[in-house]
Formats: sequence, structure tokens, C-alpha cells
Amino acid sequence: MNTFDVRELVLTYDGKAALQHVSMNIIPKQVTALIGPSGCGKSSLLRCLNRMNDLIDGCNVEGEILFHGENIYAKNYNVYELRTKVGMVFQKPSPFPMSIFDNVAYGPRCQGINDKKTLENIVKKALVDAALYDEVKERLKESAMALSGGQQQRLSIARTIAMQPEVILMDEPTSALDPIATGKIEELIFDLKKHYTIVIVTHNMQQAARISDYTAFFLMGNLVEFNTTEQIFRQPTQAKTEEYITGRFG
Amino acid sequence: MTSRKQFDQELASLKLNLVQMGDLVIRHINEGLDSFVRLDVDLANQVIISDKAVNEYEHSIEKNCLGIILREQPVASDLRLITAVLKMITDLERIGDHAADISKMALFMEKTQTYYRVDDIFGMMNVCQEMIRHALESFVASDLVLAQSVISADDTVDHLFEKTKKHVANALRNAAVDADYAIYLMMVAKYLERIGDHAVNIAEWVIFSMTGEHV
Repeated sequence: MNTFDVRELVLTYDGKAALQHVSMNIIPKQVTALIGPSGCGKSSLLRCLNRMNDLIDGCNVEGEILFHGENIYAKNYNVYELRTKVGMVFQKPSPFPMSIFDNVAYGPRCQGINDKKTLENIVKKALVDAALYDEVKERLKESAMALSGGQQQRLSIARTIAMQPEVILMDEPTSALDPIATGKIEELIFDLKKHYTIVIVTHNMQQAARISDYTAFFLMGNLVEFNTTEQIFRQPTQAKTEEYITGRFG
Repeated sequence: MTSRKQFDQELASLKLNLVQMGDLVIRHINEGLDSFVRLDVDLANQVIISDKAVNEYEHSIEKNCLGIILREQPVASDLRLITAVLKMITDLERIGDHAADISKMALFMEKTQTYYRVDDIFGMMNVCQEMIRHALESFVASDLVLAQSVISADDTVDHLFEKTKKHVANALRNAAVDADYAIYLMMVAKYLERIGDHAVNIAEWVIFSMTGEHV
């Protein structure tokens, strides 16, 4: 079963369409990249997957997004539970002004986990999975604000992982990072997909080609092409996709 | 449409260099066979020396391809085009080697050697040259049908090669040809047959560059 089935999704902001009749699947434990020029709707779709768009005034969603067969836009759907299962990592790392440990423990504590030993285990596992533990294990009580940009982004990933999600949504997670920090995040994504389903928005074409299994190309709110990443970057079927990924698109 | 003027110019220049390399090897095949038929040692040596220019084309085109990959990180049709060029220059270089090999036959033979004409060898040469020309034309014009016709044309080369074998074997039986000369003749025919195979390889890479499928 697919993790998500997006069916005929129409998203409007104040009546203006941002996504038009988009249908696609998100396959479990695979990395799906959403690409396209600015304003094409890729981030809007990403935010629909854990209903982050609910927070935006004037936003209206039609169609369905099924998460394991259940429509997340159905009345009475438990959004809080959805967001624990579908975590999100943003473009800019945003550590809370507290210690490294408390950053990662924040989510579990909100869920009511207060046992010290349990929290220590969760934090350690999340930091290990986010490939950050070795770099910070001696200074877990120090402020997260002192970490480098790349470390802060891995901390954001650790914070997401600590909630034991099933899906991690990433909105341009490396666009603010240097090539070395970017490389670390990309390696991390490669490891994370063994356990998590990942959907990533990226402007970096080479990054999509390197790390994703599936790629969806969006243009002006329309899904132009969705296929395996290899197919998209070797032999796209749509002329618009070809123009965009080869840089001949205006 | 956004311009990638510099990149597109580089791709156009890559194609131009490939065609120039192809023209040179086509000329070498002609001159190689001519030197063999006329036992023209000077012409044979010219072809052998000029083969270095073919190798230089290969190195220069290869270097340009690697530079483009480094700078542009090409994908989709651009990636297929550059991959195809990298593969095609290897086949063109091998064709150049075979043209030089044919010339070397002229150097091995005695000046007094009696010429024995086998028309089918000229037929093989004509078809091979046309195959190379069409393969390169199909690449430049993205002409799938023309590329496919190159693959089909190889049957003609193989057929003419079989005919040449029989012809030479008969001539040997009837003592119409000197045994040494017959061996050289067959080697020339074999080189031409291999040239046909390389032309097919080129056409297959042309098809790959257009369809993404390597037949």
C-alpha cells in the first residue's frame, strides 16, 4: 500500500489555484523529490501532506490525500496524530533556544514522556540516526544555538525523528548549507530511507538526481511528470520536463 | 525559453568535431584501399601518419566532453548526447585504425605482386563509407530512420564479405591468385567487415541519444 495517495488535489489560496488536480502516490521507504520552478506548487503539496496549510488563512483544499487509505482531509481526522507520524524539516534550521538534549526531547515531552532514562534513550537514538551523536555527545547540555548550520539542520532532523514518525517531509533542507554540510545531509537521507518515507522539495536538480528514487516535476500548479528519478533524468517523457531539467526553460 | 547559449554552442561544436573526425576516417578508408590496390607505398604511409590526426580528434573530443560534464552536469537529452559522443569516438578511432591496417597491407607486399581485382571489396568499402556518413548525418539531424538504415546496411557488408571469401577461395583453387596476395585480400576484406560493425555501433549510439534505449 502507498504511504500517500494524492487524488485530484486542488489547492487554492484566496481563490487562486496553487495546485490543480494533482494525483500521485508516495511510495513507502523511498525518497520522492518534488521539483519545479518557484511558485509551481511543490512546497504547497508538501505542506498539504501533514496539513500544515491549515494554518494559512484563505487556503482551501479539494480532492483527497489518503494516508494509508484514510483521507487526511476528512472531517474529524486527527491532525495532531497525523503530524506526529508525518514530520517536517524546514529550509532554515530552527533550533529552539535551549540545550541540544532539550531540543530533541521537546517533542517526546509534549507527548507526556518525562521518564529521564526513556528520554535519554530517545534522544540518543534520534541523534545517532541523524548522524549527529558523535559530534555532540560530550556537550548535550550546551545550547543548540552554538552548533554550525549543518549540525543545526541535523538536529532539526533528530528532533523530527524523536517523534518516531513514519514520513519525513523536507522543504529544501540543504539550501542554506555549504557543500560539505549538504553532503552529510544527503548521506543521512540515504540512511534514513531504510526506516522512513521521505518527501523532499529541492531546487537542486543534481541533488534530486543523487538522492531520490522518484521525482515529480511541477509547473504552474500542475504535475507535469511523475516517474522514477532515473527515468526523469535520463529520458523524461514530457518536453516541459526536459526543458526544465536541462536548464532551457523560462 | 531560457538561453543556454554557451552550452548549446559547446554541444554544436562537439557535433561538428565528430563529423570532421568521421570525414577524416572515411577519407582514410578510401585512400587505404587505393594504396593497397595500387601498391602505393607513399599513399599508404600518408594514411598511417594521418591516423594520428584521428587519434588527436578522439582525445580532443573526449576532453571537451569531460569538460562539459564537469561544468554543466548534463541530464536527459544532453547527458545522452555526450555519452553517445564519448562512445562514438571510440568506434571512429577503431575505424581509423582499420583504415591504417589496410594501408599497411600495401607495405607488406612485393612491388612485383600481381593485382587481382575483387569487385565486392570495393562494394564493401562503398557501403561502409555510406554507413559511417549516414550514422553521423542521422546524429546531426536526429534522424531515427536513417540511423536504423545503417544497422540494416550491415547485412549487405556481411553478404559481400561472404561473396569475397568464396571468390578468393575459388581463385586460389584455380591458381588465379597468389596465396600471399589472397591472404592480404582477405585481411583487407575482414578489416572492412569490422568497419561495418563499428558503423553499426555508432548508429546504435545515435539511437540511444534519441530514445534512451541502447539497442
